[in-house]
Amino acid sequence: MPPVIALPTLQNNDTPPARTTCALAACGPGSRATVVDIECSADEACRLRALGLCEGISVNVIDSRHAMLLEVRGTRLALGSAIAAGITVRPQSAQA
Amino acid sequence: MTSLQTPLSSDPQRGAQGRGATPGDKVTLRVAIIGNPNTGKTTLFNALTGLRQRVGNFAGVTVERVEGSFRGPDGQRVTVLDLPGSYSLSAGSPDEQIALDVLLGRDRDRWRPDVVLVVMDSVHIDRNLFLASQVIELGVPVVVALNQFDVAELEGVVIDVPELIHELGVPVVPTVAKRGEGIEPLKRALFIAAGLPAPFRRFSLPDAADDALAPLRECLIADGLVPSAAAMEALRLLGSSKTDAHLKDVPGLAAALVSSSDALRAAGFTPARFESEVRYRWIGEVTGRTVARRVNPGRSLSDRIDAIALHRIYGPILFLLVMVLVFQSVFSWATPLMNAIETVIGAAGRTVGSLLPPGDLRSLVVDGVFAGVGSVLVFLPQIAILFTVIGVLEHSGYMSRAAYLMDRVMRRVGLHGKSFIPMLSGYACAVPGIMATRTIEDPKDRLATIMVVPLMSCSARLPVYTLLIGAFVPPISLIPGISLQGMTMLVMYLLGTFVALGIAAIFKRTLLKGPVRPMILELPPFRWPSPRSLAISVAQRCQLFLRRAGTVILSLSIVLWALATYPKVQVDQSLPIAAQQEQQLEHSILGHIGHGIEPFVRPLGYDWKIGVSIAASFAAREVFVSTMGTIYGVGDTGGDDAALQTRLRQERNAVTGKAAYTPLIAIGLMVFYVFALMCMSTIAVTVREAGGGRIGWSWAALQFGYMLGLAYGSAWLVYAGGKALGLGG
Repeated sequence: MPPVIALPTLQNNDTPPARTTCALAACGPGSRATVVDIECSADEACRLRALGLCEGISVNVIDSRHAMLLEVRGTRLALGSAIAAGITVRPQSAQA
Repeated sequence: MTSLQTPLSSDPQRGAQGRGATPGDKVTLRVAIIGNPNTGKTTLFNALTGLRQRVGNFAGVTVERVEGSFRGPDGQRVTVLDLPGSYSLSAGSPDEQIALDVLLGRDRDRWRPDVVLVVMDSVHIDRNLFLASQVIELGVPVVVALNQFDVAELEGVVIDVPELIHELGVPVVPTVAKRGEGIEPLKRALFIAAGLPAPFRRFSLPDAADDALAPLRECLIADGLVPSAAAMEALRLLGSSKTDAHLKDVPGLAAALVSSSDALRAAGFTPARFESEVRYRWIGEVTGRTVARRVNPGRSLSDRIDAIALHRIYGPILFLLVMVLVFQSVFSWATPLMNAIETVIGAAGRTVGSLLPPGDLRSLVVDGVFAGVGSVLVFLPQIAILFTVIGVLEHSGYMSRAAYLMDRVMRRVGLHGKSFIPMLSGYACAVPGIMATRTIEDPKDRLATIMVVPLMSCSARLPVYTLLIGAFVPPISLIPGISLQGMTMLVMYLLGTFVALGIAAIFKRTLLKGPVRPMILELPPFRWPSPRSLAISVAQRCQLFLRRAGTVILSLSIVLWALATYPKVQVDQSLPIAAQQEQQLEHSILGHIGHGIEPFVRPLGYDWKIGVSIAASFAAREVFVSTMGTIYGVGDTGGDDAALQTRLRQERNAVTGKAAYTPLIAIGLMVFYVFALMCMSTIAVTVREAGGGRIGWSWAALQFGYMLGLAYGSAWLVYAGGKALGLGG
């Protein structure tokens, strides 16, 4: 019998966003953040998740000039600013 | 769930359906290859099948369908279908929809794989496992190829393959497709997998979630899916807001989706992110047990290249340099090869001609066939070089960087970076360019891109540009390595490109008004392209071109020769040979057609001969050159391009007595060809891609009309404007 996947349920992962969260678009180059929520069309969210960008994952911001250039799971993703504005992240401290 | 399958063609009907199968040569195993883009999937496909490939389209859609074959250890025939690159089975784009349809046996061709080969990038195994885990649940035997295994080792990623086999429950074979490593074990694994029980989901959902999904699963099983595939589909559908086209007719599906989503929400889960949460949670556990990474591998070479390629200042400079290199290579490097082909065809024409008795047959062979087809064949080196360069850009990973850099420009006209790749492919050929728009999700963005792709100067315009530039632009060197001829060529390409952007902006602000969809683009690591794989795809493209030259252009050349030769007239034998030919041509059917067209083309400075060539090339642009070859080759020997250029320079306008082709007329003519949509294949693809039927035809008609108007107007502007400025004409 395959192992059951243990998942946090709504009660504990849908708590109101802490004050430390911000839009991914607000993160500068060199910063690191954890994705908290993805708010965009279902198609775009589906694509982002298939590309490895899902809730709970850490991302490195490489560039944020006209579009966001991110490192996610060792791959590089370029996201338009509208998408980056819809992604809520929790920035990690520099030491992390 | 673990029903035993006997896929080794016990069903004769399925064997007979195999494309490319000949009677008595039964397909024994069908393999579908799927994988994320940039995993080396096509390189692996090429390594498996070599040149035994057939390029076509999936039935009913224009997604390119490449099928190949190889022989198994006991001589069994294995057909391999290369599915479009997909990040998941979520069917977000037409490409992904096709992949899912084929895997579920819903493809219109009813082509169903016996084994699915999932190609994974060993370096980014966790992201790649998302798609693999979906495919494993479809109830079809699976083999996983861990490709680019060498790169993973180099980058400090150590994968425990036996443990991974245990975790996934399917054969896993490490490969380095670029060097052909692991191909034989992979072939054996495909045969072994075909006899294994179907794999199944390797994790269980929490009980509450499993119960919540029951209505959705049952609905899909009732529609004919096997339980494991129904479970995969149920999970997948939660994330998409809509039910896909192929599920529209499943009775009760929409209601089941709502009730399952509600039940899931009541159990404390978020339906939209549920699939990604369970899969990535499982992937995390699997990679935790099977993959070890060297801590802090430092900045990779690819990252260091990116620091330049995406730099604020160096990035655009590098981009421009790459573009200049592309055009310079196409124009200059091909010349020696083109000269060689010209010499061979000219010699062959003369040799064959000397074997035939003088008369119509000799004229047909030498002036019709050799001159017509020869003048097009000569462009094979340029087409090969162009496809090689575009292939290198694509396979190396630079193309995505170009799309990223161009996003800002494209956004200004209302498109996004992704439209850049179809437009760049349009430089090679509008047909694959329009087909490449399938990766653009937004229908309006797609349509706007389709409408302007044919403005990008394709390889079929090259013969026209080359002929006219060679004849009328002096080969002056501007700076070492860059000639005036090369720059003229670049200007023609830039003209098409900028006008394409402008027209796209107009479309996006009028007929196709809508918000610009944000960019989501993967920038794969820079890699050396595989020369073998590159050679195979270039050979494939050249073959398609040759087939075209051998069929369409050959028949048109013969028809044109006949139209230029008949009816025979009594010519004045005392005149020089050239004047006799002129007389014959003028009284031929072609001559009459040309005179009919002349009033329409006279404002552009053209005589009836150019009119004939333009009219003849409405089906395919490159026919312009072969028509010129036929018109001026009548009575001559061989289809020598240099000879044709000399003839053009010497040609006099019968009415005015002035030179028929001045540089101004030649530039106007090139501008005409930059804009005019003269290609049957492009029109056909636009009709299909723009929605087919009346809608498709309306868009194609609009495209043809606006491009012809643009071509005529611009050519007139060049000619009339040039004359007004006293540039001669």
